[in-house]
Amino acid sequence: MDRECCWNRDVIELADCPEMGPGEEDLLVSKRQRNLEKCCECHKFLTDLKQLRGDANPLAPVLASFLGEFRRQKNQIQSLVSFLDNKTLEIRFLHELGSVLQSSVDLDEVLSVALTAITAGKGFGMNRAFLLLTDRSAGLLRGHLGIGPRNLEEAGQVWNEIAQNDMDLKSLAQNFRLNKLSSERAKFHDLLEQLTVPLANKKHILIKALDGKRPIMVEGAFQHPDVPPELARLLGVDTFLLMPLISRNRRVGMIIADNFITHRTITEEDMRSIESFGFPVAFAIERASLYDKLQVELDRVTAAGKKLKEQQELIVRMESMALVGRITSSVAHSVRNPLMIIGGFARSMLKNSPESDPKRTFIESIVAETRQLEGVLDEILNYSDSLYPTKDFWDVSQLVETALRDTADNLTSLGYATSYSPGDDLPPVYIDFKQLSYCLRTVLQNDIAGIGVDLSIAIWSQRCEDGVILRIEDHSRHITQAELDHLLVPFSETRDLGAGLGLALCKTMLEKQGIPFIVQAGENDGIRYTITLPTRKEEQT
Amino acid sequence: MSRLLVVDDEANIRLLYAEELKDEGYEVVTAASSAEAAEKLQGTTFDLAVLDIKLKNESGIDLLQKLVKERHDMPVILCSAFSCYKDDFSAWLADGYIVKSGDLTELKQEIARLLAKKAQKVKAEV
Repeated sequence: MDRECCWNRDVIELADCPEMGPGEEDLLVSKRQRNLEKCCECHKFLTDLKQLRGDANPLAPVLASFLGEFRRQKNQIQSLVSFLDNKTLEIRFLHELGSVLQSSVDLDEVLSVALTAITAGKGFGMNRAFLLLTDRSAGLLRGHLGIGPRNLEEAGQVWNEIAQNDMDLKSLAQNFRLNKLSSERAKFHDLLEQLTVPLANKKHILIKALDGKRPIMVEGAFQHPDVPPELARLLGVDTFLLMPLISRNRRVGMIIADNFITHRTITEEDMRSIESFGFPVAFAIERASLYDKLQVELDRVTAAGKKLKEQQELIVRMESMALVGRITSSVAHSVRNPLMIIGGFARSMLKNSPESDPKRTFIESIVAETRQLEGVLDEILNYSDSLYPTKDFWDVSQLVETALRDTADNLTSLGYATSYSPGDDLPPVYIDFKQLSYCLRTVLQNDIAGIGVDLSIAIWSQRCEDGVILRIEDHSRHITQAELDHLLVPFSETRDLGAGLGLALCKTMLEKQGIPFIVQAGENDGIRYTITLPTRKEEQT
Repeated sequence: MSRLLVVDDEANIRLLYAEELKDEGYEVVTAASSAEAAEKLQGTTFDLAVLDIKLKNESGIDLLQKLVKERHDMPVILCSAFSCYKDDFSAWLADGYIVKSGDLTELKQEIARLLAKKAQKVKAEV
């Protein structure tokens, strides 16, 4: 009997078997292997088997049955191998995804990885994905990020680009984060804005999926009873997948994925794969969010620590200032009594000595020197008082009028004319009234040499953005700016120019209260003082 | 002639005040402490008292409170090297407050003012 098939030959030529191709030459000399791999699929073998049956060989039906079962099992094995191959790829992908997610605490990076994984061909290959995050404080599920093309043309460009650059998931996600995150956010901004649903809206399909903690495959969205028509219109697809992101039983957010461009069917298998990917993503998002919060808290604690350090330094400074203040005050008080006694008796002697007494000049000198020293002493005591301003809200006009009243006798006796023009609607100012009164009195009575012809002092008050501006123009006293600047330095040598400490003390007092004190002079213009009084309590530092 | 009580722990200040105020026509009695002042006040009427706030180990303000309670018709002037006492509520009980100075003009003016005020009040009551 002639055989069509080469199944019973030990060695064959390549042309003898129609099932064999180049690269399978080893089968030419291996009959058993060739029988298993090729003969059962070969039409020549089936022809031989038919001929065997025609010859009424009793083994023919048994062989045919064996062949059928063999082919069925072979197909099953092949399909299982293919399934396992897919699963292996999936596991590799999930492993890669897990590694990337585990190594990141940056929320944008995590989100980029998650959405890239869903849409990348190497991943789940969906066309488009939207991420919504739960805002617990606002009670909302809020659209946060979208990824994917908006039309076929854009899809072609993106997929072509991806195909040309064979990148792994991490590189794809990095590329997305660096180059596309902002543009994708902007691209889907309007859509994401509308993808915001109150968590209390339990009937909404998104909230149902979130509360149910299970993915939902939505098919026939435009007619679906649970899908609001506006959501279906917004997405523009009939089929989409809702995947809730749940971490430790907490609702982190939701991913909506669809095949907007290709309209490829989303299978149950796709859904299960994406579901297994949801857990690490949810965990990574929550961890990154917590890390963000932690970072904010850390910044806050760092700022508080810095502030605390400043406070400690301030306390140390204040303690040393308090010590300086106490020492200054104690020394000044110890000096005052003897000074008063010397000055008092000198005056007494002067009063009782005849005009012709040659020693009268000496006594007059003692009186003048003690008066000068008492003045300095007052200023030193005021200086130590200035270390502790006591602030409250006061009326500016009351301040100015008090200072004018206190100095009226002195100024009138010198032939001065004073005027005050209060501004409209002046708010109360936050100052140490006592110290400000002293400063105004000092400014008004300043005994700077060089009195001119115009003996007038004019005061204006005026509301400004930062408080109330007080301007004092003294046309009677002429001094250069350099001399004036010298006068503003505490304890500088000022004998020729006046009592000395007065203006410097005013500057110190005002600066300690955070009040700008500007003094300008022109040799022929007189002196202009500008004091900006605060109307608000400064922040306690 | 008005009789004044001067209380100060500094002997030279007591001497200065006594001399200067006598020249102004007042009768001046001095005391160096609260105890001595209490002794001098015993059975004597004074028209006005000048008190130092810091009296060695005691406070002139305590004496002021005692005088206000027991001699409420006698004006009291507090006299001190400490200008800060002007802000002390207890010091507000006094009728006048003078910061010590070798120039006694202010003190003398304040004494004259308070005595005139007192005389006016007495006259009005009569």
